[in-house]
Amino acid sequence: MDLNKVIACLKEIGLKPKINSFQDRLVIQKVVYLLQCKGIQSGFGYNLHVRGPYSPVLTKEVYEHKDAVQKLVTDAKLNASDSKKVEEFKELFSGLKPSLLEVAATYSYFAFQQHQDVITVLQNVKRMKSFYSETQIAVGVSKAKQFLFMPNENDLAEMKEEAKIWQDASIKNMRG
Amino acid sequence: MDSDFLSLMKESEILNSDVFSLIRLLLLSSINSLGEDGVTYRELKAGLDVSDGALFTNLKFLEKTGYITCEEIILEGKKLQSYKITHEGSLAWEQIRIWLKKFVECGGRNNGSK
Repeated sequence: MDLNKVIACLKEIGLKPKINSFQDRLVIQKVVYLLQCKGIQSGFGYNLHVRGPYSPVLTKEVYEHKDAVQKLVTDAKLNASDSKKVEEFKELFSGLKPSLLEVAATYSYFAFQQHQDVITVLQNVKRMKSFYSETQIAVGVSKAKQFLFMPNENDLAEMKEEAKIWQDASIKNMRG
Repeated sequence: MDSDFLSLMKESEILNSDVFSLIRLLLLSSINSLGEDGVTYRELKAGLDVSDGALFTNLKFLEKTGYITCEEIILEGKKLQSYKITHEGSLAWEQIRIWLKKFVECGGRNNGSK
């Protein structure tokens, strides 16, 4: 397991975590998972828990090296390819909203790790994250797809259609 | 086989039988698996697909037994209830987990399967 690499990623993202904060620990879990899905391997194994994909070993490491994580102390440097991926992540998930990261990570687990079909993936995400609104789920799923999915022509058309529904709904909402 | 069974029965004496209901086992397992991080009420409700009544009652029971603790956390500006396993809870879950594994294995052999 490479916690140094994790810290390098957090540093590049600009996250200054407070380990006593539930929210920051959750964000670290999801950031590391999504970056691993993208190919930045730090060696932390993830399994499905009530929180979605989660690595108990990562939590243990984070607590054990609390100071280094909080102060972002690392001698690891990301290579150009990894830096580019982190930059992409930063742009897509700016603000590091836990709800978006949670939905995106859970979607990615079912879609890209379990390779479930589209309908089953959505059913599972909606079930596990039923406390989030339809909009939060739709945005999280869309971000995960944007980050991890290489769309073909059909997929692009489908995504455009999907985005249009939400766009229309929000315009309607704004008009009252 | 008989000695296995007898030792299994003997070992069961140290287990807290009050925890032996599906929902309590699921709760202990789920809360234990997230260790120091704790699990929010809403995650348990969604993940385990249980009613508020059943969830609340059983969480209260585990809290009263000293197996879990409850604290308030803030997530995206919202106050949420989060549950963490205690040292006693973790030990109890480990004893149950090991015993259940032996119980299933012993049951399989008793049924004549290899």
